[in-house]
Amino acid sequence: MADDKKYEYTVNEVPPIGHLLLSAFQHVLIMVVAIGIPIIFAGQLNESAAFTASLVTFSMLASGIGSIIQALRLPYLGSGYLCPNLCGPSYLSLSLSAAWIGGLPLMRGITIVAGLIEMFLAPVIQKLKSIFPIYVVGLVVALVGISIIQISVTSFFGLTFQGDALRNMDLVVGAISLLIMVFCNIWGKGFVKIYCLIIGIFSGWILAMILIPEYWQNLLSVKNNPFFAMPHFQSLLNPVSFRFDLLIPLIVIAIGSTLKTFGNLLAAQKMSEPELDEINFIPIRNGIIADGLATTVSGLLGSMAVDTSSSNIGLAGATKVLSRWISVVAGVIFIGLAFFPMLTNALSQIPKPVLGASLIFSGCFMICAGLIQMLEEKWDQRKTFVVGIALFFGLSTAFLPSLYARAPKFIQTFFTDPLPTATILAVILNQIFNLDILFKNIFKRD
Amino acid sequence: MRLYRTTACCILLIFLSLSMLGCESRYENLGLDVYQYRDTKDLVKFVYDASLMIQRDGLQSVKHFKNSRQIHYSPDRYLYIYYINGANIYHAGMPHLEGKNLWDLKDKNGKKPIQMVIAALNDKNNPHAWIHYSWWEPGKFYPVPKSSCHFKVTMPNGQKVFVGGGLNYPHEEKEFIRIIVDNAAQLIQAKGYDAFAEIADPASSYNFRDVKVFAFTPEGKLLISPVMNDSIADFKLMDCVDEMGHKPFEKALHGLKNKESVWEVFLARNRYQRTLIKKSLYLRKTSIAGKEIYVGAITDLPQPPG
Repeated sequence: MADDKKYEYTVNEVPPIGHLLLSAFQHVLIMVVAIGIPIIFAGQLNESAAFTASLVTFSMLASGIGSIIQALRLPYLGSGYLCPNLCGPSYLSLSLSAAWIGGLPLMRGITIVAGLIEMFLAPVIQKLKSIFPIYVVGLVVALVGISIIQISVTSFFGLTFQGDALRNMDLVVGAISLLIMVFCNIWGKGFVKIYCLIIGIFSGWILAMILIPEYWQNLLSVKNNPFFAMPHFQSLLNPVSFRFDLLIPLIVIAIGSTLKTFGNLLAAQKMSEPELDEINFIPIRNGIIADGLATTVSGLLGSMAVDTSSSNIGLAGATKVLSRWISVVAGVIFIGLAFFPMLTNALSQIPKPVLGASLIFSGCFMICAGLIQMLEEKWDQRKTFVVGIALFFGLSTAFLPSLYARAPKFIQTFFTDPLPTATILAVILNQIFNLDILFKNIFKRD
Repeated sequence: MRLYRTTACCILLIFLSLSMLGCESRYENLGLDVYQYRDTKDLVKFVYDASLMIQRDGLQSVKHFKNSRQIHYSPDRYLYIYYINGANIYHAGMPHLEGKNLWDLKDKNGKKPIQMVIAALNDKNNPHAWIHYSWWEPGKFYPVPKSSCHFKVTMPNGQKVFVGGGLNYPHEEKEFIRIIVDNAAQLIQAKGYDAFAEIADPASSYNFRDVKVFAFTPEGKLLISPVMNDSIADFKLMDCVDEMGHKPFEKALHGLKNKESVWEVFLARNRYQRTLIKKSLYLRKTSIAGKEIYVGAITDLPQPPG
């Protein structure tokens, strides 16, 4: 372990094999949450169980490949931080729309193009560093954490469908799981502190099976799956298509996804290299390229689009285990799991309240990392209005979806989610509210 | 440290062993997998448990239910028991109905719930005897949409009763339209053109809330319209599109070439929020006078939370 007590393992350190595998498995447990996204996608399209299984398999392969690429430090590829990939909800709605309109070939096409757009945006982000001051960056990081509130809280309450009944016991399981994770992290030492998530998840799972027999019965379904199964690689030869009328919404979503990756990588950099006085945009750029490549690969594989996981970064911050080799091993484990449906199914039976607790646990670190970064700056009225107005309208897209459903098309296109809405507004308002300073600087130079 | 690791390994082993053994549920043969919502499954289990108690204890169980009304009545569901002739024995939420015969009672749409229950109990397509109607909540003055499931029970003294449970503001389950469409298809096959009037009747079991059974020919000619009670407006069903320009009927008919029934998902607008929601179309083949026709209905698809 590192001599520096700030970390258990630093970003370039290779932990001992036992810790490496266990830490990677801890990250895999969070990545497993994302298996729900392709299942939701297939369910919404009324596809067969065989299709769902295939989609889940290829999504896991894409996530694993993306996690490995992201941890690399090649020229122009990979941030070199612990930043695993998983199927995020960013592309779910557009993937569904594409599948409605043009079937799976169109979904593959837009996923491939989305990845290429993201790779194109990476060097642009680096050049735009002057319009991303630290407090706007902090806002982006906080919003990345806020973006998982919906999925984490609904999972915490054990909800599968909108409007369905809640079970008191689910709340008990979720609350106890969360408290175990938090107590282990705050008061635990060594093994207990590092593996607080695994301890919390398995404790919660055992408790859930005792209190709610349905979770125990769900495990019976694991026996029905084959232990080992090869993915249907022949589906890679399925056609790919694209429609240019989807380009504008695709660019908007790709920008949102790029900004989310930007925020994730910034948070990862802040945790891994806190000694930096200012943001080092080179690994950020390389990380966005890697993320775009992972998205393109997922399209080629016919899976759901993958991107960086804020929950896993939050977990790294919580446990102070920041070695990027954990991301590599987590990626390898996830790729391996794709060939063992029984094991994947077993992990997917983790009770929703327990998964929700783990997402809330790791999300806390993302939100607070962003807030701390934002408020570290010397504050003034300009920042108040930039952040305030951006937050008002950004969060309103989540609080008032029906309002935006009746808004003009232009607003509907750009005001989709809190993250891209607040970020775009913050960037624009930051320029507008600092125009006088900009002009003063121009005149001074003259 | 070794002790911690050993303890952790033991816990993990116990967990893995327990998980592989699993356990059986008393609801395993109830066929609850057809339902998507927990509310619906919980209601069926609730009524089933009551039916087992009645089967074992007969009228003694009614005393137990009367002494524990608060358990069998909640904002989400409540229990009732009737003789097969429509006389109420027990009603958790409305004690004033006990002893009364509600055989001819009609709801606001003209439906006769008790008679619908008897028909549903004899319907093999409807294992949990679902009916859908309007009722009212105790103390309230506005009608409430309801769905109820039922079990027929023979008490130890040989008397036959049915026990049921109602769900206010129920979720729309795919199974609900599967039952009415399959029944409509069988009715058309048995009665031919005479079946259309019964199926189109708003007071029949084939229509409830926003659900309406419709029928059409392979050429798209409407026999029972999905949008109007009178098919005065001629529209081409196969060319109809959803909010994304997708043609669900065209796609569904393609699927029906090799199957007897098919589910197709499409996008429509939410009535209240105007946002897009997913809906499900169920179509089944049947025949009339030797010619193939299609019967179907549309329902909401469960939405992901949030």
